[in-house]
Amino acid sequence: MKKIGIIGIGNLLRKDDGVGIVLLERLQKQKKKFPKNIEFIDGGTGGMNLLHLLAQFDTVLLIDAVDFKGRPGDARVFSLKDIQSQKKSVMMSTHDPDFLNLLRLSQELKEIPEILVIFGVQPRDVSHGMGLSKEIETVLDDLYLKLQKEIQDFVK
Amino acid sequence: MSKDFSVHVEHVTRVEGHGNIILDVKNGKIEKLEWRVVEAPRFFEAMLRGQQYNELRSITSRICGICSIGHSLASLKATEDALEVKISEQTAMLRRLAIHAENMQSHILHIGYLVAPDLFGVGSVFPLIGTHTDTVLKIVKLHRLANEMSDLICGRTIHPIRLVIGGFSLVPTEKQLVKLKSQLEEARTLTTDIATIIHSVADSLPDFTRETEYIALSSDDEYALYDGVINSTDTGKHPAYRNYQAVMKEFLVPQSSTAKYAKHARESYMVGALARFNLNSDHLHPAAKEVANMFGLKPINYNPFMNTIAQLVEFSHSIEDSLYWIDLLLERGVREEKPVKVKVKAGRGVGIAEVPRGILVHDYTLNSKGYCTKANCIIPTNQNHANIQLDMEKLVPEILERPEKEIELTLEMLVRAYDPCISCSTHYLDVTFV
Repeated sequence: MKKIGIIGIGNLLRKDDGVGIVLLERLQKQKKKFPKNIEFIDGGTGGMNLLHLLAQFDTVLLIDAVDFKGRPGDARVFSLKDIQSQKKSVMMSTHDPDFLNLLRLSQELKEIPEILVIFGVQPRDVSHGMGLSKEIETVLDDLYLKLQKEIQDFVK
Repeated sequence: MSKDFSVHVEHVTRVEGHGNIILDVKNGKIEKLEWRVVEAPRFFEAMLRGQQYNELRSITSRICGICSIGHSLASLKATEDALEVKISEQTAMLRRLAIHAENMQSHILHIGYLVAPDLFGVGSVFPLIGTHTDTVLKIVKLHRLANEMSDLICGRTIHPIRLVIGGFSLVPTEKQLVKLKSQLEEARTLTTDIATIIHSVADSLPDFTRETEYIALSSDDEYALYDGVINSTDTGKHPAYRNYQAVMKEFLVPQSSTAKYAKHARESYMVGALARFNLNSDHLHPAAKEVANMFGLKPINYNPFMNTIAQLVEFSHSIEDSLYWIDLLLERGVREEKPVKVKVKAGRGVGIAEVPRGILVHDYTLNSKGYCTKANCIIPTNQNHANIQLDMEKLVPEILERPEKEIELTLEMLVRAYDPCISCSTHYLDVTFV
């Protein structure tokens, strides 16, 4: 059975940057609804330890705040190929600007998950502070439904 | 040559936390040269007040994401000292493995990800993936091993959960230790490879010396990390550990209002891998001594840039010493011991340990109900700030004729050599208005 990792990344102390963790916490509460081969992980602010985490899974869905110049609260799903072709103009994670390089390193190590998908949410405010902005908070239920659907497609 | 220029490095990169370098030169003369700590205060000591004795470890672990094992151990030692808890032999052995795991984790991260880019002349580790793929892969493998070792002994990669007052909440199985042993044995070759690679670019380490005092724990029996007596290259051993403030004299400076600095016999002293090497190199494992010999590192070495090399030496020692303790644990059999029972009482306890960046002190006073009424933590990076400043004051005149960019890089490299963990070093400030 394939090992699937759903990893939330973000910093709860930087408002919308924590949206990946907030969504992950909701998923964790509902984890009995999902197949047993899915592991839900709070990846925190990532960094180099994310590299070691990625190595443990065949398939990974990362949930993260991503500045893709969309409307706050918009969600987009990227594959690794999309990110690489569009480079940093699309993938601007606030807490780890070298995220793409980290994935490159994971590829070099030949341990990058076979499938890697990023569920990115456009943040409005990533300044210091607790709690999500109103724009994100109001669409959080929709985001969660969208994410759930994504995971269902993902594990098919 | 007289020239005007300024080097203002706001937030030195590839260090943990925020520190600035300010250098203003007019007509070839240094007008201002400051190492500034600009991190916000953390208030940890204040947070400990009013907390129960069994909460102190998990709170102080959060002082640092890199040295969480070290903070946990110093914290446990302080609490156990206050409550007169005597730990078992097995706990002492496993705690030594925990401290080695953290030393390896932190050192390889610093050597491989933070310093190596300077030596190879690039801005970060990522450009090296394409040009020095094999080296990066080896560094990543060693880092992963250290992470797995922390996970096995402490229950987590960072912020340990198995380290508790009086022992361990869960101990590794013999089977797990056998596996760890074979992983550590395999890591020997990788470590030699990394040492050889770093040696090939070690000419990039500036040739700079400034005599200073070095302070670390020392032990008659081993290369002291978990336990020992405060020792100084200037004044020798200070066995009265509860009187650590006679050695670590904290003071404040205007340019870094949130960090306490420290001095002892001179205006500054240095702690960390180089300090430990300078005081305790006799107790290093032969394999680690070989690494030191490769670089011509001998005590007392007064070049702060060699701190990174001392870390490499310690990495090798940590592998070998871990193998020693694992063998001993397997020989006597791993027992499922319950942590020692605690009898709450009033008292003061001091816990001192060597953590990756140097000597760390936790000092707690507990009331009769076991609540903390006073806490003091002396963090390694605190103790190095004054030494960084004085190194800069000697270094800059020696390199003043070089291009500005080179001066800037050399100063950044100096700060990085100390492997500072600036966030840990910031404290709250007591002020009195008159």
